[in-house]
Amino acid sequence: MLNAIARLGHTGMATLASLGRAHLLLGAMLIGLPALTLRPRLLMQQVYFIGVLSTLIVVVSGLFVGMVLGLQGYYVLSQFRAAESLGVMVAASLVRELGPVVTALLVAGRAGSALTAEIGLMKATEQLSGLEMMAVDPVRRVLSPRFLGGFIAMPLLAAMFSAVGVLGGWFVGVGLLGVDDGAYWTQMQAKLDFGEDIVNGVIKSLVFGFVVTWIALYEGYDATPTSAGVSRATTRTVVHSALAVLGLDFILTALMFGD
Amino acid sequence: MRIRGLRFARGERVVFDGVDLDIPRGLVTAIMGPSGTGKTTLLKLISGQLRPDAGTVEVDGQDVHRLGQQALYRLRTRMGMLFQSGALLTDLDVFENVAFPLREHARLPPSLLRKLVLMKLEAVGLRGAARLLPSELSGGMARRVALARAMALDPMMIMYDEPFTGQDPISMGVLVTLIRALNDASGLTSIVVSHDVRETAGIADRIYLIANGSVVASGTSATVDAHPSPWVQQFMHGLPDGPVHFHYPAVPLERELFPSPRRAWWRRVRAA
Repeated sequence: MLNAIARLGHTGMATLASLGRAHLLLGAMLIGLPALTLRPRLLMQQVYFIGVLSTLIVVVSGLFVGMVLGLQGYYVLSQFRAAESLGVMVAASLVRELGPVVTALLVAGRAGSALTAEIGLMKATEQLSGLEMMAVDPVRRVLSPRFLGGFIAMPLLAAMFSAVGVLGGWFVGVGLLGVDDGAYWTQMQAKLDFGEDIVNGVIKSLVFGFVVTWIALYEGYDATPTSAGVSRATTRTVVHSALAVLGLDFILTALMFGD
Repeated sequence: MRIRGLRFARGERVVFDGVDLDIPRGLVTAIMGPSGTGKTTLLKLISGQLRPDAGTVEVDGQDVHRLGQQALYRLRTRMGMLFQSGALLTDLDVFENVAFPLREHARLPPSLLRKLVLMKLEAVGLRGAARLLPSELSGGMARRVALARAMALDPMMIMYDEPFTGQDPISMGVLVTLIRALNDASGLTSIVVSHDVRETAGIADRIYLIANGSVVASGTSATVDAHPSPWVQQFMHGLPDGPVHFHYPAVPLERELFPSPRRAWWRRVRAA
């Protein structure tokens, strides 16, 4: 019994210490951001790595999600003779929820795990210590550009996901199931609100970009510098990112769309 | 460089307990000792990557652990370090690795930077490998590139962390020669941390032997070699048995191989 309490206390203390380290790292990364104005190339490399290289998986996923939404939406809406509202249903689902959330989960799996592994391996192979010994701050040189890169790339990828998803829904709804083409687009144009739907969706993906990249970089930077340690850190990145994204999505949705 | 009363512990384990060291300018000083005695930790303490629990480390008259980050970074531009793994940046080729500290700290015209990098690479015999990636280098070549990078800013001292570990005889010979030649040609202060006795003693002007958290012997190679301590003799001559026993402490072999029936039964129970 006493052992169990001791273990609980130890786990609690370790979690608090880890949270403290994560916030210190976040502070250091944010302090390092202004220096990027002098080295825009470092940022561009990371936007390319996190954003451009994630495009294919995001676009393909967006297409399939949009097609499934078109199919499911058509069967539900047609029961109420409202199949013409398919466009707005698909677009609202994508822009408000699925675009930011699924994109964040995909980026956590593809780019987040890669960031953790990269930083963890740089630590294990003493590259970060090497930078320190060359009087170069590894947080500013290596982590800050990646952090800002992830923050910038996420809303762009989410926008791409939603746009391709709308096309996927159109292909199934209009192309295969016979929904009126004009109704699909005009209802979407009429019912979707720029501030309420699109801006809130962008805010969500900015928050997810911030959190997913932060978790990925922290896990890599804090990883035990062994192959097993990096492997565990990579797993933690995906699990913690997914939980954080889903939990934050609920909170943000309640704040944005709740009465 | 001067170390006084250095104390450092990792949890319960005391790594250094009141270590005093003097590293004279312009010489090659070797710090030797068995694996796990904290030789690499000592380098990290000297370079300010770790903080001691007590004691001071002075480099060129500056107390390393009293410096702020900017001042410490300024000092580090005058200290090179060769890591055991080389620590080359894997996404940059050999040329860019050597150019890295120059690009970070010196605003040089591209043509001058190119000449400087090629000269550093020439000094370690790898000018021809300038466009290779670290993954295309052998272990010995990677350490030579790391040495060229450590020399890039013309530091006053270089620390070598186990430079000979895992090297074939040719690479080892090259590294031994380079460390001595670069030290003498550039007027450096070199600190070589190693447990490769023959190679290190061959180039060191002064040796410190560290074990169990303190300095057990120091002096020139000849002085340490003739030290009366049986432990020093065992270490310097690589004797398999001595004060450090060949066998790790264990129960008697007979008891392990032929246990009593009661002990055998207990072992089966625990295994089940």
